[in-house]
Amino acid sequence: MKIVTANRLSDGRVIYAGVDNQPVDRLDHASVLDEATAEIVLAEVAGRPDIFVNPYLVEVQDHTPSGRDRLKERIRATGPTVGNSLAREPA
Amino acid sequence: MYRYDEFDHALVRERVTEFSDQVARRASGTLTEDEFKPLRLMNGVYLQLHAYMVRVAIPYGTFNSRQMRQLAHIARTYDKGYGHFTTRTNIQYNWPALTDLPAILSDLADVEMHAIQTSGNCIRNVTTDVFAGAADDEIEDPRPWCEIIRQWSTIHPEFSFLPRKFKIAVIGAEKDRAAIRTHDVGLQIVRGEDGGTAFRVFVGGGQGRLPHIGQEIASSVPAAELLAYLTAILRAWNLLGRRDNIHKARIKILVASVGLDAFREEVDRHYATLRHEDLRIPDDEAERIKAYFAPPSFEDLPKASAPFDRALLADPDFARFARNNVRRHRQAGYASVVVSLKPVGGVPGDITADQMDAVADLAERYGFDELRAAYEQNLVLPHVKLDDVPALWRALLEAGLATANADLATDVIACPGLDYCSLANARSIPVAQALSKRLADMDYQERLGPVRINMSGCINACGHHHVGHIGVLGVDRKGEEYYQITVGGSPDEQAALGDIVGKSLPADEVAPAIQRTLDRYLQIRAEGERFIDTVRRVGPDPFRDAIYETLDATA
Repeated sequence: MKIVTANRLSDGRVIYAGVDNQPVDRLDHASVLDEATAEIVLAEVAGRPDIFVNPYLVEVQDHTPSGRDRLKERIRATGPTVGNSLAREPA
Repeated sequence: MYRYDEFDHALVRERVTEFSDQVARRASGTLTEDEFKPLRLMNGVYLQLHAYMVRVAIPYGTFNSRQMRQLAHIARTYDKGYGHFTTRTNIQYNWPALTDLPAILSDLADVEMHAIQTSGNCIRNVTTDVFAGAADDEIEDPRPWCEIIRQWSTIHPEFSFLPRKFKIAVIGAEKDRAAIRTHDVGLQIVRGEDGGTAFRVFVGGGQGRLPHIGQEIASSVPAAELLAYLTAILRAWNLLGRRDNIHKARIKILVASVGLDAFREEVDRHYATLRHEDLRIPDDEAERIKAYFAPPSFEDLPKASAPFDRALLADPDFARFARNNVRRHRQAGYASVVVSLKPVGGVPGDITADQMDAVADLAERYGFDELRAAYEQNLVLPHVKLDDVPALWRALLEAGLATANADLATDVIACPGLDYCSLANARSIPVAQALSKRLADMDYQERLGPVRINMSGCINACGHHHVGHIGVLGVDRKGEEYYQITVGGSPDEQAALGDIVGKSLPADEVAPAIQRTLDRYLQIRAEGERFIDTVRRVGPDPFRDAIYETLDATA
């Protein structure tokens, strides 16, 4: 299964295509799609460059990245695993 | 230090206006990402894993308290309260919004700073010896020449669309504290036959996927002809360098493929014409630039300082700081002080906005208002009266900036890695932190002496792993993080690339393996040998055995 992800134009933050292909911040709110639907959604969000920058597909099992880039996608979903950014993250 | 003239001010302001318009057009959707990308890269803006990142130039690592306070203001206002010093002596912000970028660049312009040429296929920020103008072994301060190169290379029309990026470093002493032979061009000031300033020139160094140590292409280029010679090198590469393959576009690949002699012939062909043209640097112009870098008004002081010596005796922690972070100075009664950005378990190169303000205050109070960024991701106050070092140390302690580990095993260079960088294959920061915690015992670190440990999260080598005495390279093995270890690299005047010792290790094995390597050194070193000396004498085998002994036992 696949989800669609991108960076948000305004601030570069990680977003996903959720219900009705609306951008959502959280991986667990992303729509989990079969291969064919994922391609359609990818094409749809690629047509909305005012929100979705560099959209692409991520392989998942349920809402957990499972492909070769799974660590990178986990870090994209949850933020840096260490460091000064953590102190300023919203609770 | 150099101050902008009206042309510098106008150029930077015009760029802010131009980029503000480009950002507005991107935000409104008029520009696509493909159209915007080359424009943002010309202004140091990347799109990383979690956000935009902006890289701010600190030309040859020299700045002042006003600029540092503005960097703190930017960190607080537009970012998450911190910044990250890089191995190119720049500072990066990891979280700015697209629409805040014009304001950030405008705030930078207010203090004579910018982000021009901190990315893209152009001549990048020139780096130099962090102790320039202070070191006691220097022939001449290299910073005026860095500034001349900066002015020549900024938005140079011929060199704005090079095959790839191009990095220059300049030193003014025999001892190389700027890793010049890992640069596309490395320049070493020497005395010419006429006794005047000249440059020994190295070309074709570089790290990344295909690392090379720079080779000497010229032994003594007269200072007045420096820009002619640099132009000749860049022109030769710009014409002959590959543009069909990003991995083979750097000058190091061209020099290696045609050979140094053939490349020199090509350079000399251009140089023969250029040296007689208007690229000659007039003496009065060189003197005008040098005047900006005149030494501060040092007092006539005795070599020894009673307050410094008393503090040495009174406080063992200060004595440790003095042993490791205080460097000799050309002026009697003064020293250079390294402010380590490598606290135990910290993120190498990170500094909070409050710490930036603290360092700015200290530079103003104790250091003639001058600061330096070191490529090792530390800061330096280059000119501090020995009498003031104890008070400076106490203030650094309060700010959490007095870690006494400069050039020791926990003074690790590390790139942001997969925690931030979209190019990375593996994380660097957690591995550096684990090592820092493991080797935290300062007595142990001092017993080891100077060891350069460098980590990169991918083969692009922003963490300089190839030239670490011990290098760590993160690799991806079927979606898991592994780390390849090298031993024997060196960034200095005896520059060398490290040898890969064997198969890569899982993340939690890296710090223990490095400690075994260091312990082996303690067992086998000869009297007075530094770690790198022992590696050069015995080769990598004993260290390979140490790295893999536990792994083999449990395999």
